[in-house]
Amino acid sequence: MTEQTMTSRDRVLKLFAKEDIDRPPCFSGMGNVTAEGLKKFGYKFAAVHSDAKMMADSAASSYKLFGFECAVVPFDLCVEAEALGCDINVYSHLEDILYPTIKTKLVNTEDEMDISIPSDLASRGRIPMMKEVIGLLKDDVGSEVAIGAHVLGPFTLAGQVMELNTLLKLSFKKPDKIGKLLDMLADALIVIAKEYEDAGADYITVREMGATSDVLSPRVFKNLILPYLKKIFAALSKNSVIHICGKTNDIAGFMVESGADAISVDQKNDVVETRKKIGNDALLFGNYDPYNVLVSGTTDQVRETMKGCMDSGVNAVWPGCDIWPTVPPENFHAMMDEVKKYRR
Amino acid sequence: MATEEKKQEILEKLKNAVIQYDEDASKEAAEEALKEGLEANDAIFNGLVSGMEEVGRLFEAQEYFVPELLMCADALYVGLDILKPHVSQLDLGVKGSVVIGTVEGDVHDIGKNIVKMMFDVAGFEVYDLGKDVPLDKFIEEQIKTDSDLVCLSAMMTTTMVGMKKVIDDLKAKNPDIKIMIGGAPVSQDIAEKWGADGYSADANNALKDAINMISSLKKMKDEAEQNKA
Repeated sequence: MTEQTMTSRDRVLKLFAKEDIDRPPCFSGMGNVTAEGLKKFGYKFAAVHSDAKMMADSAASSYKLFGFECAVVPFDLCVEAEALGCDINVYSHLEDILYPTIKTKLVNTEDEMDISIPSDLASRGRIPMMKEVIGLLKDDVGSEVAIGAHVLGPFTLAGQVMELNTLLKLSFKKPDKIGKLLDMLADALIVIAKEYEDAGADYITVREMGATSDVLSPRVFKNLILPYLKKIFAALSKNSVIHICGKTNDIAGFMVESGADAISVDQKNDVVETRKKIGNDALLFGNYDPYNVLVSGTTDQVRETMKGCMDSGVNAVWPGCDIWPTVPPENFHAMMDEVKKYRR
Repeated sequence: MATEEKKQEILEKLKNAVIQYDEDASKEAAEEALKEGLEANDAIFNGLVSGMEEVGRLFEAQEYFVPELLMCADALYVGLDILKPHVSQLDLGVKGSVVIGTVEGDVHDIGKNIVKMMFDVAGFEVYDLGKDVPLDKFIEEQIKTDSDLVCLSAMMTTTMVGMKKVIDDLKAKNPDIKIMIGGAPVSQDIAEKWGADGYSADANNALKDAINMISSLKKMKDEAEQNKA
């Protein structure tokens, strides 16, 4: 099929199915709303997180404006923690673009760890809204691009609901206790991810950046985190991606072992080395710097970087993190053009 | 006064307490140091800090990771809290006061706390604004405290951009102010472009930079003491 006959949706789904495609797709499993997209609708960033129509409009805009080959929600990393009972801050008092953060933690000290998953988790917080957004996106652009949704990994979610210092120290001192918490959070994440799948998401990205080798040793990753990632991916029925940023070369093999259909790494990963390690059959997505290249680089730097990613063997050109909204339109266009004209 | 041998033994205990993140051992060794008449400064720099230096090396060699770093810091603070009241003030010719915090939108403070720890060790007056700090607050606090160093931390790309505004505002109000920025997304390039005086990409680099900084303070202190003698 040629560029004209293969839709972005076909390309992405065929990639996951490991069928032949004309070129690597250029998409993401993480937030990619742009300031241009928000401007088109006159939306304030702080407002789009809690309104289904606004979120759906914004999520589809990177495809509509630039041809980015997906629509992904949510834009923030607080949906799961909020559903579990944390308060969030969306910074509605500011004009600047700030992502929502957790205001209050459920667990501050070791003796507060006895928490449980609410039985009505799927109807709490913004989860019903997320399902509505996914439905709106299916109707709007669902025949043209794949619809993605993301959840946190269990350890990263633990970092949202629990005081981070306590979590990190206990991961070392009392791994059994943390393991129990991660097991419970994995169950919660399975409930949420399945809701997204049922609503029509074509692929789920699990973001476990808290377990990067910049923070945790590969040994702790393997013993403490990997079992619960495996549990999640075994429970998902559609396409799945595991994303970890920062240092990941030593854990790339474990990421494949997690059972995700694809692994996603950022610009700190040496993808040539990773490819050697994981073999040609595993799907590897990455690994451009979404700020220092896409936002603040020149169009030539953008083109070189995208070409570099493809030359080093990624299966999809995909950012190392959320795309920072202030990406200049000419850089976004340069990225898409470079990927579209690429032939191996 | 302790013999040289005894002194070395206590310093070694302090150092190992930090490396082995043993809070009890740190307490015990700090108390022993005071009992045996060691100079508190000596115990802090040649005991606790030298332990932290080794921790930095272990972190770099990827034998230690962030959990270990946090536990080592806890052990250091246990010793430091005991020793600090006994530090004899010494005029280093450096005005030690610093405003430090994580910028608004960011709730990560581990890197910031590691840097703060080293300022504590060096005897700086530290004004810690915490995390998720509105940008104007840095400027207010700097003016209020007349600090000559401001440290801004951001863990995420999404909040890093706020630092530029603070740097511009601070430098406009006080061109002599020194500004350090830190956090995973920060690079030499960004520090230069935005006019920051220094940067650290991660907790370990922050630790190393801070150790370098206090090592040079310590050298000045030693020289001052030699001159005195």
